[in-house]
Amino acid sequence: MARVVDMPKLSPTMEEGQIVTWHKKEGDSVDVDDLLAEVETDKATMEFRSFDRGTLLKILAPAGAMVRLGDPVAVFGNAGESTEGLAPAAATKAPAPGAAPTAAAPTAAAAMQSAAPATPPSPSEAPLVAASLGADGRVKASPYVRKLARERGLDLLRVSGSGTGGRIVARDLTGTTPATAIRAIAAAPVAKSPVAVSPAALPAGREPTIKPLSMMRRTIARRLTESKQQVPHFYLTIDVDADALFELRARLNADLGRKVSFNDLVVKAVAVAIGRAPEVNAQFTPDSLIYHRRVDLSVAVAVDDGLVTPVLRNADQKSLLQISEEIQALSAKARDKKLSVEEMTGGTFSISNLGMHGIDEFAAVINPPEGAILAVGAIRNEPVVKEGVVVPGKRMKMTLSCDHRVVDGAVGAKFLAELRKVLERPLQIVAS
Amino acid sequence: MKEPKTALDMYRMMLLIRRFEEEAARAYSLGKIGGFLHLYIGQESIAVGAAHALKPTDSVVTTYRDHGLALARGMTSNAGMAELFGKVTGCSKGLGGSMHFFDKEHRMYGGHGIIGAHLPLAAGVAFASKYTGDDGVTMVFYGDGSASIGATHEGMSLAALWKLPIVFVCENNQYSMGTSLERSISVTDMSKKADGYGMAKDRFVAEDVFEVRDRLQVAVDRARRGEGPTLVEILTYRYRGHSMSDPAKYRTKEEVEEYKNRDALNRLRAELDAAAETRAELEALEASVEAEVAESIRFADESPEPTADLLESTTYAGEFAR
Amino acid sequence: MKSMRVREAIREAIAEEMERDERVFLMGEEVARYQGAYKVSEGLLDRFGEKRVIDTPITEAGFAGIGIGAAMVGLRPIIEFMTWNFSAVAFDQILNNAAKLRQMSGGQLSVPVVFRGPNASARQVGSQHSHAMEHFYVNVPGLKVVAPSTPADAKGLLKTAIRDENPVLYMESETLYSVKGDVPEGEHLVPFGKGRIAREGKDCTIVSYSRMVHVALEAAETLAAKGIDCEVIDLRSLRPLDEDILVQSISKTHRAVVAYEGWPYGGVGAEVVDRIQRLAFDELDAPILRVTTLDFPMPYNAKLEQHVVPQAQRIVEAVESVTYRSV
Repeated sequence: MARVVDMPKLSPTMEEGQIVTWHKKEGDSVDVDDLLAEVETDKATMEFRSFDRGTLLKILAPAGAMVRLGDPVAVFGNAGESTEGLAPAAATKAPAPGAAPTAAAPTAAAAMQSAAPATPPSPSEAPLVAASLGADGRVKASPYVRKLARERGLDLLRVSGSGTGGRIVARDLTGTTPATAIRAIAAAPVAKSPVAVSPAALPAGREPTIKPLSMMRRTIARRLTESKQQVPHFYLTIDVDADALFELRARLNADLGRKVSFNDLVVKAVAVAIGRAPEVNAQFTPDSLIYHRRVDLSVAVAVDDGLVTPVLRNADQKSLLQISEEIQALSAKARDKKLSVEEMTGGTFSISNLGMHGIDEFAAVINPPEGAILAVGAIRNEPVVKEGVVVPGKRMKMTLSCDHRVVDGAVGAKFLAELRKVLERPLQIVAS
Repeated sequence: MKEPKTALDMYRMMLLIRRFEEEAARAYSLGKIGGFLHLYIGQESIAVGAAHALKPTDSVVTTYRDHGLALARGMTSNAGMAELFGKVTGCSKGLGGSMHFFDKEHRMYGGHGIIGAHLPLAAGVAFASKYTGDDGVTMVFYGDGSASIGATHEGMSLAALWKLPIVFVCENNQYSMGTSLERSISVTDMSKKADGYGMAKDRFVAEDVFEVRDRLQVAVDRARRGEGPTLVEILTYRYRGHSMSDPAKYRTKEEVEEYKNRDALNRLRAELDAAAETRAELEALEASVEAEVAESIRFADESPEPTADLLESTTYAGEFAR
Repeated sequence: MKSMRVREAIREAIAEEMERDERVFLMGEEVARYQGAYKVSEGLLDRFGEKRVIDTPITEAGFAGIGIGAAMVGLRPIIEFMTWNFSAVAFDQILNNAAKLRQMSGGQLSVPVVFRGPNASARQVGSQHSHAMEHFYVNVPGLKVVAPSTPADAKGLLKTAIRDENPVLYMESETLYSVKGDVPEGEHLVPFGKGRIAREGKDCTIVSYSRMVHVALEAAETLAAKGIDCEVIDLRSLRPLDEDILVQSISKTHRAVVAYEGWPYGGVGAEVVDRIQRLAFDELDAPILRVTTLDFPMPYNAKLEQHVVPQAQRIVEAVESVTYRSV
């Protein structure tokens, strides 16, 4: 009975072909393996030979037609049979000269899509990634040492590494680092600066104390040097009227029965001000500027050997009291060397306060990858002008160091203006 | 009509091979068979003649153009077609494909893809027969294209030296892929290579399947008597290209038509048709072949595929070694 | 226990298995009348006759193929390569027939053949005769590869190999043939896939096999005098590889050096490194170092050859590096 014959695969890679010549006419009888037509494929002109014995009743794809695999090309059957209803829509006509095969296009488009650069993960999604983004906290230690540190809760920032390149290795944890290795580490300079030459023979008691670099000192040295070398710093200073703040603190400490520090108040004020001037809560990357929505404040804490900046997370969502308690806890952990890597990384804005050390004003170094750091000075008692009259007043200076690549003067100024507003009318601190 | 029963058996097997190969080609064009497919169409008389010269306890080894020999030695067309379709019911569980038909029960040891490399293997099988004294003969088939490569020479050299019970059958279809014989070899009478090894030889054209059987029988008997190997060159022709991707532009259509006119299958059919006693059987015989081949396609279509858990046990006997 | 040389241990293994199983035969160049190029098969022709100890002409592809074909139909051939370097001309037979016949036949066939012969460097035999061929073969699924370093293991591994249903590549060493050692009496088989602790230690693990085990032990003595206590592992079995012994040892010592003959790119040593770093990552106190043949064809000149071949001193330096003694 009559049946449709489709274009078969004439070579392993064939997807379509153009019929060059038919070697049989409608009505011809055909035997198995007889040459039906010549078909031009991507590789060569192939012979389309018959798989069947019978009569070629109708040609559906004439010479010149472009046919895809499986498209109908002819109707076979017994001589004289009808082909009614068997001839589907005719095959496409010969395409215009120079038309490219359609198969190529989709793959090219797909290739272009996949070539688009992937966006880097934001630090909030992968705090540890932020740590290893060449910045802070990534300690060189062998896998075995890391395992021991996990098991024993050790802070590797506290340990000197005597292995290759300063790697912390097992013996450093057991205190069995040989003296030769310690001297070798002490001799290795952190930066390529010339070592100060001391006079040949020093009298007794005048030799310098040589302290090998701890991990923390190495880290501070590296990061802050990088920051000063690579971040274009500029500085904005305001002198805030601290009368209301001073009075609020006195009242809170009397009413709450616990001590809230000036720094606690400033930290909360900063969180509120960021909410109103969020463009300062940002960081620069070579491909983009990242404006953080979360407000994670790095609070500088002085410790034995130097300085650490534990992160107070979601400062905008915490009350003044919560902030005060948390800063206290983090500081204690910092001094006891118990901070985890997660607690020390991923901040979006830093605050450093040297007021308790009697410093009036200073400019801090930005903590990469953050975009700004606020340096807070002491509250000064000095004569001020109020309503045209000189009266005693309290003032507090704060300096914002900004990364000019992401925070411009106007942006920094706007933030400081909002901060001043909050600090000079400080009930907003407890109300937020 | 001499040996009418045998003639009918031989005809049925040759037709089965022919139709199996034609349907395999169609299945390939429909995408049901992938990779390489080398068809035996036109060479059927060699496999069938050889099968009738050998005992079931003899062994055969051949190249990748192996479907005909496998069927002639007793592999079912179901197992063959399923293997081509890559199904687990295939003779090699779908792991070998067209080039690697193996049937241990019928002592058909492949199905090999590397030219010439199976000749030393076949010599090893013959060596084992001699070693164990089991009276078996091994017949190994190779093409004109295999005649020059190193392993072929080493296999023949050792077989002749040790008088192994083996018959080397060169299926000379005049072309190794697209290269004709005279462009491949300095002496186109392949049987002359036997002289170099001090081996017996024979050479003829495969037009009559009975002649194929009888002349191969001489070689087989010689081997079984312990007199050593014979090199038998059989001139034949393949009507299709080297494989499914070969448009065979290296020969003229006239040449192909001329060989088709000398087709051993058609010749045997004509003889059977001419004799009254056998003519009556033909229609039923041919219908049964069609049915068998159609059934093998259905069987292959419906069979399941092999699963990944087969991979470890078919790589190592016993525990996997990594 | 009986003291004997590696050569004798191999011979005993072959003789015992040929006695036990008629299907076992030995074939190769000079194995019969010449009594073996390295005298391993000395006396076997007299004992078992020409049918079972067979001299071949120089036809590695031919007789390797014959071995594989005979194994395919049920015999148990031992095919000797006069040196493993010559297996290169039979590579197709090993790669495409021995390793593949089982899978190509869907599991119908197996190939219980043993290929054996001396491997890796000798003395000044030049670049074409000094290859550590095991690295080319361990990569292939379907093959098993073993390399003993003592007479006891030589005997035990070869007997296991002959009885294995799969193709086994057995690596000897010309310089080891005369090494003496104790071999257990009676039936002695060593399983595949199990390494051996050649020296216990706690500071660093040295992983090795074949001739280099002895060099590693020498290095361990030097290191002991310097206060570094090394554990030396003799892998014995390259494919299958004993991962467990590696993990156990590194969990104890936390440092590893892999010392073996062969060029640095890839190969057995790189596989050992992968297994250790993947399975015992948290135990590592240092990167894993390899001590290998230098990345050049083997030169003829004696001093340069010694420079290229891995020496005990290089092992010592590597161990000192991973234990941070040299920082």
